[in-house]
Amino acid sequence: MFNQFSSTAETLSKASAVMLRIGTDAHLYDDPEDVNIAPLLDSKFESEKCEALKRLLALIAQGFDVSNFFPQVVNNVASHSSEVKKLVYLYLLHYAEKRPNEALLSINYFQKDLGDPNPLVRAWALRTMAGIRLHVIAPLALAAVGKCARDPAVYVRKCAANALPKLHDLRLEEHASDIEELVGILLNDHSPGVVGAAAAAFTSICPNNFNLIRRNYKKLCQILPDVEEWGQILLIGTLLRYVVARHGLVRESLMLSIHGLDNNGFCEKDDLVRDLTLDKGDDGNSDSVDSDLVRVVSKCYIEGPDEYLSRSSFPDTVSSVFHSKETTSIAHNEDVKILLQCTSPLLWSNNSAVVLAAAGVQWIMAPLEDVKKIVKPLLFLLRSSTASKYVVLCNILVFAKAVPSLFAPHFENFFIYSSDAYQVKAHKLEMLSLIATTSSISSILREFEDYIKDPDRRFAADTVAAIGLCAKRLPTIPTTCLDGLLALVRQESFAGDLESMDGEAGVLVQAVMSMQTIIERDPLSHEKVIIQLFRSLDSIKVPSARATIIWMVGVYCSLGHIIPRMLATITKYLAWSFKSEASETKLQILNTTAKVLISAEVDDFQMLKRIVVYVLELGECDLSYDVRDRTRFLKKLLSCKLACHEPADDSVAQEKNSAHVVEHVFGRKLKPFSPSAMHDRFYLPGSLSQIVLHAAPGYEPLPKPCSFVFEEQDQLSALDSQRDAAADLDGSQESSETGDEDGSSDYDSESSIGSEFSSNGDERTISNDANDPAAPLIQISEISVSTDQEELRSKRALDLWLDEQPSTSSQTSSALNSNQSSYAKISIGDIGSRVKPKSYSLLEPGNGNGLKVDYGFLSEVATISPLHVCVEVLFENSSEEPIVEVNLEDEEAMKVSDSSEQTLVGKANASYNNVPTIIPMEEISCLEPRQSAKRLIQVRFHHHLLPMRLTLHYNGKKVPVKLRPDLGYLVKPFSMSIEEFLATESRLPGMFEYSRRCSFTDHVKDSRMENGKDKFLSICESITLKVLSNSNLHLVSVDLPVANTLEVATGLRLRFSSKILSSEIPLLITITVEGKCTEVLKLTVKINCEETVFGLNLLNRIANFLVEPSSSTTS
Amino acid sequence: MLQCIFLLSDSGEVMLEKQLTGHRVDRSICAWFWDQSISQDDSFKSLPVIASPTHYIFQIVRDGITFLACSQVEMPPLMAIEFLCRVADVLSDYLGGLNEDLVKDNFIIVYELLDEMIDNGFPLTTEPSILREMIAPPNLVSKMLSVVTGNASNVSDTLPSGAGSCVPWRPTDPKYSSNEVYVDLVEEMDAIVNRDGELVKCEIYGEVQMNSQLSGFPDLTLSFANPSILEDMRFHPCVRFRPWESHQVLSFVPPDGEFNLMSYRVKKLKNTPVYVKPQITSDSGTCRISVLVGVRSDPGKTIESITLSFQLPHCVSSADLSSNHGTVTILSNKTCTWTIGRIPKDKTPSLSGTLALETGLERLHVFPTFKLGFKIMGIALSGLRIEKLDLQSIPPRLYKGFRAQTRAGEFDVRL
Repeated sequence: MFNQFSSTAETLSKASAVMLRIGTDAHLYDDPEDVNIAPLLDSKFESEKCEALKRLLALIAQGFDVSNFFPQVVNNVASHSSEVKKLVYLYLLHYAEKRPNEALLSINYFQKDLGDPNPLVRAWALRTMAGIRLHVIAPLALAAVGKCARDPAVYVRKCAANALPKLHDLRLEEHASDIEELVGILLNDHSPGVVGAAAAAFTSICPNNFNLIRRNYKKLCQILPDVEEWGQILLIGTLLRYVVARHGLVRESLMLSIHGLDNNGFCEKDDLVRDLTLDKGDDGNSDSVDSDLVRVVSKCYIEGPDEYLSRSSFPDTVSSVFHSKETTSIAHNEDVKILLQCTSPLLWSNNSAVVLAAAGVQWIMAPLEDVKKIVKPLLFLLRSSTASKYVVLCNILVFAKAVPSLFAPHFENFFIYSSDAYQVKAHKLEMLSLIATTSSISSILREFEDYIKDPDRRFAADTVAAIGLCAKRLPTIPTTCLDGLLALVRQESFAGDLESMDGEAGVLVQAVMSMQTIIERDPLSHEKVIIQLFRSLDSIKVPSARATIIWMVGVYCSLGHIIPRMLATITKYLAWSFKSEASETKLQILNTTAKVLISAEVDDFQMLKRIVVYVLELGECDLSYDVRDRTRFLKKLLSCKLACHEPADDSVAQEKNSAHVVEHVFGRKLKPFSPSAMHDRFYLPGSLSQIVLHAAPGYEPLPKPCSFVFEEQDQLSALDSQRDAAADLDGSQESSETGDEDGSSDYDSESSIGSEFSSNGDERTISNDANDPAAPLIQISEISVSTDQEELRSKRALDLWLDEQPSTSSQTSSALNSNQSSYAKISIGDIGSRVKPKSYSLLEPGNGNGLKVDYGFLSEVATISPLHVCVEVLFENSSEEPIVEVNLEDEEAMKVSDSSEQTLVGKANASYNNVPTIIPMEEISCLEPRQSAKRLIQVRFHHHLLPMRLTLHYNGKKVPVKLRPDLGYLVKPFSMSIEEFLATESRLPGMFEYSRRCSFTDHVKDSRMENGKDKFLSICESITLKVLSNSNLHLVSVDLPVANTLEVATGLRLRFSSKILSSEIPLLITITVEGKCTEVLKLTVKINCEETVFGLNLLNRIANFLVEPSSSTTS
Repeated sequence: MLQCIFLLSDSGEVMLEKQLTGHRVDRSICAWFWDQSISQDDSFKSLPVIASPTHYIFQIVRDGITFLACSQVEMPPLMAIEFLCRVADVLSDYLGGLNEDLVKDNFIIVYELLDEMIDNGFPLTTEPSILREMIAPPNLVSKMLSVVTGNASNVSDTLPSGAGSCVPWRPTDPKYSSNEVYVDLVEEMDAIVNRDGELVKCEIYGEVQMNSQLSGFPDLTLSFANPSILEDMRFHPCVRFRPWESHQVLSFVPPDGEFNLMSYRVKKLKNTPVYVKPQITSDSGTCRISVLVGVRSDPGKTIESITLSFQLPHCVSSADLSSNHGTVTILSNKTCTWTIGRIPKDKTPSLSGTLALETGLERLHVFPTFKLGFKIMGIALSGLRIEKLDLQSIPPRLYKGFRAQTRAGEFDVRL
């Protein structure tokens, strides 16, 4: 009967489940393809269309590719039903990038919808149109956004703000300024909702365009409390960055309270610190503010931890970086005051992200005495969801590390609940051990006692470690801690007998380690504890715990009065137990017996010697070869000690030396306790980087203090900026000098050729830059190029792969040659002439009635704008007739003037392009048969892969041609020293690093041809030649392998650096060689660049041209 | 900014993916995530921010459903987490709960909601009352309608006017025939009793929950009799900061329907309403355990649904527990739950029994923590009292209601 009832209940529940599912879309999800979708899409009933679209979405949700329905779905975009429209948009956005051509069909409908009176329709159309990531429609979308940014409906303006990052994401360099302008307009909006979205757009588009913020800074601050929570998070960050860039850090704030301003007579700051200390009732404890750490934190915020840590070996230069002019005082600065005022109520926000962002502002900018008001709101966040609890704790930990006294009175908040996740528990433990004070330590230790009995043994082990930390920090408590730990060790050693207790071993090991760290501070006063530990050796079975104690035997063997007397017994015991130990312990026993022997007194010496000999004999026949090796090593080392009969018997002269070594290895006393060096990384509070502890892509530290100076300011600031510029100049000179120094220091080492080249190169580039504005445009369009210019050009293209300079005197160069004969053979003329930029065909003579047009990329910097590339076009008349009026023009520009139906595109283009995409060439009036002419055009490519459509005019005809960008020339050389290179490289790990392997054959012909030449050099040369002939890079360094055979080139490494033309983002290339000199080499090309897509494309390009056999070298 | 959101069922199946930007995230990342969370222990699952080889993953888990969001660039992690929490809240509000079937059955609504809530990786409309106007929640009527007519659009044609107003949380001009406003004080007691039986920490986490059904554009003022006891507080965006700062009065234009007006914390309470006295003795491989539960200080209202749950340590091989009141269940994962209900007048509920330890163990050296649950209706244990709730312009037929309740939050009694 019972059974029957349960089955009824089951059917009932099934029935009710079915009931619940009626009317939902359940059947569509479960079986989306049970009907033919295609005809439904073309149905004339909205409901059927709707169902079909729902089925498609179900398939998308389940991860199927249904992009083949795209054309049919696009047709439905004209539907009047809002639901169909919504579903179509959902589908469109999912696939638009995959099917660009069909997506274009929908543009007209969007255009129509954008004029709809219903704001919801307008907003949807805008969102979808901007979401379709097609370069073709970008100008249209931009125009639409511009229109919607002035829409009367707030919702539409908000969507317009959200659309801007989408457009920015397409990397429309020519529209960048227009997009930024729109951001400015939207930031100035009077509706808080729009401002929030605009702040988000600002952060992702132009986080450093502080001019936009300056215009309405006050208004933004006032509107901040009314902005939606998500906008608040980003707007707070933006305002903080602006204030730092504009006014610098606040003198009274925590960041500057400790250092840097001593010369300004700010004596009261010390009082402030003291106040804070007294305020907390800290019993005069020293660490109310960890000034060293605060300095590190503030430096990390400004510079980013990677840069800071990379040069942290020069602490002296660090402390003097903040000049008093780069700081401001809250009393005099309205902007700072307003920022602090408007962010402090946000500490009451319901959204934990807002609270943390506001707390970050107060932490960095607020006067020292106000910082404590962030404490309670932060602690209250610990009562929110488990996920945010963890993130908040990570941030609180940083605050507490710098200023433990802030959180010290609130230690109860970090007591651990059984339901906390393991990470939260671990963080809370760290927190408790950080903020423990003499007044709170007793309650904290009582909590710890409870935690040790927790069933989660990993947590218990962490607790034991935390006890050690507490004891280390607070000098008054070690005795209590040690007693507790000793009791624990005794107890654990019984419980630890069991094999099954895997967690117990961890607790025991940790307990012994904690005791060791406590004892280390003051071994003499803990002598009894040490003895107790030695006594417990017999009961402790866990190998690593035993090993630690045995190690302590060795270290403290001459401590006090009692231990030396026990030594004989202990060593006997160790020798006795040697056989049954784990190898970890065996190694430690060997060491310890050796140490004991060395510090042995006269009376014990003979016996100890016998024990050591015994142990060494055992060790020699051990199964583990680590143990055997160690034994042999010790035996050899101790041979002198073992040979003599008295401990102080150094009479044998020839063995004095080895005795000395032995003393050095084993007799060394422990260093006194010192606080460990700080290697923590600090990122801005609330950032992702702080949680994952590496700089996430896009992470930017605070801007340099006072780096933002705007023009309207008075002369003083102009002077300031001049001073800055001068400082910059100094800096760059310094850097080049250091480069020089490094070069010379590496001079003698065989592993560096390039650094010295590059340092020469630096100077050279500077001089070139200085000359450039004065010199007229280089006249390469001349048909006959003079040899000088040719040489100059090739030198620049190579970016100075030279060791000779025409400007330097011949003496120095010869001296140089004699010094570094290994690479003096590479003469400049040699390479310069051999570097031939690759040329491509624009028009074949067959298609062009005998006109042949080729083009090649030049490495010159374009004069018109940094985004342009110089292209040399070679016209050649291979026909018998003269050709007249040859010219190249932009196709788009033609269309504007020609066709009227394209006005919208044209207008958008015309109004948003302040610089034309192409600087046209001088027209060739007539080209005689067999004559050729060179012209220079400057082109800006819209996209690094898409060709540019041009129109070629000749003989009155128009021929469309495609100018394909060469990726290698969309970068420009960026000279840097090898140290800078390595530093930059280390900052671009993980997803910014990609590599490809390819083979390389060019050098084979080379090395055969020139036998007298160093093989490495010829390989370097041919690779460099190949790379530089195909791209515009700067050679940073060449690392030669330090190998004995000259045949193997493995390890050869060339480094090139450059910047992407459009975005100025650095791009680093490393080519590593593998294989034998005379055979086909395997190259690994590695690129580090933030711009992943560009980098990957360039990587492929480099790999491709490296593989293809070069024709130029054979000729 | 966020690039993609995935909803995973409790078996790791990807139920839904929503790409947010042009940089698509392949769903293979979910497979990676699930493999990791299976191969690693629980600590991975409770890690809210994970750096995977290609993306940063944010995760929250609600009712067995894992919400994953991916990003490749720096963004405030709390923003992602809070947003996912908001999505989970809205979905469970719409679907009347959260589980695998509900999400799958209403996947269109989930898609429409996600599309409205986030645009290009940045939150767009997250205010529940506005969302409800844009996308109708599924209800019985609409379900029936869709069965009968085969068509019922749940997407609104018109833009809710609240979406652009300066009080974005309030729909414009709702109309009610009877104006009602209810204020609930819902408190949770967090406490730790250590192994010596001492109350280490006892505090109240409370929320002021409101349900407002008022016509027009009401302006409310809520004041407490004893605001000074409040240690920490957080407010709904509708609360104006100024009046609170100056004289601790909550002044606000309420959203429509249910919402959480503020949360607060009252610290350092001296007493708990219920006591738990556990005792354990262990000797030669068996432990005797006995737990007494009783009323410590009578709050004046009945204490309901008292439960006590704890996890038996790993080294316990079997347990034999019985109680003189209520029921004891032991699950296969060694979780014991003692459901007491109300405390009877005539006796003190006690749980007693023996635990058999694994062979070889003499004594128990790790001890469980008891989690106490209870509920008291009609009283706020923090002592917070609402003084009055004023409306600026009093509408006709106004009804105001006040309630309070306290339940156990994180209530740990260590043995």
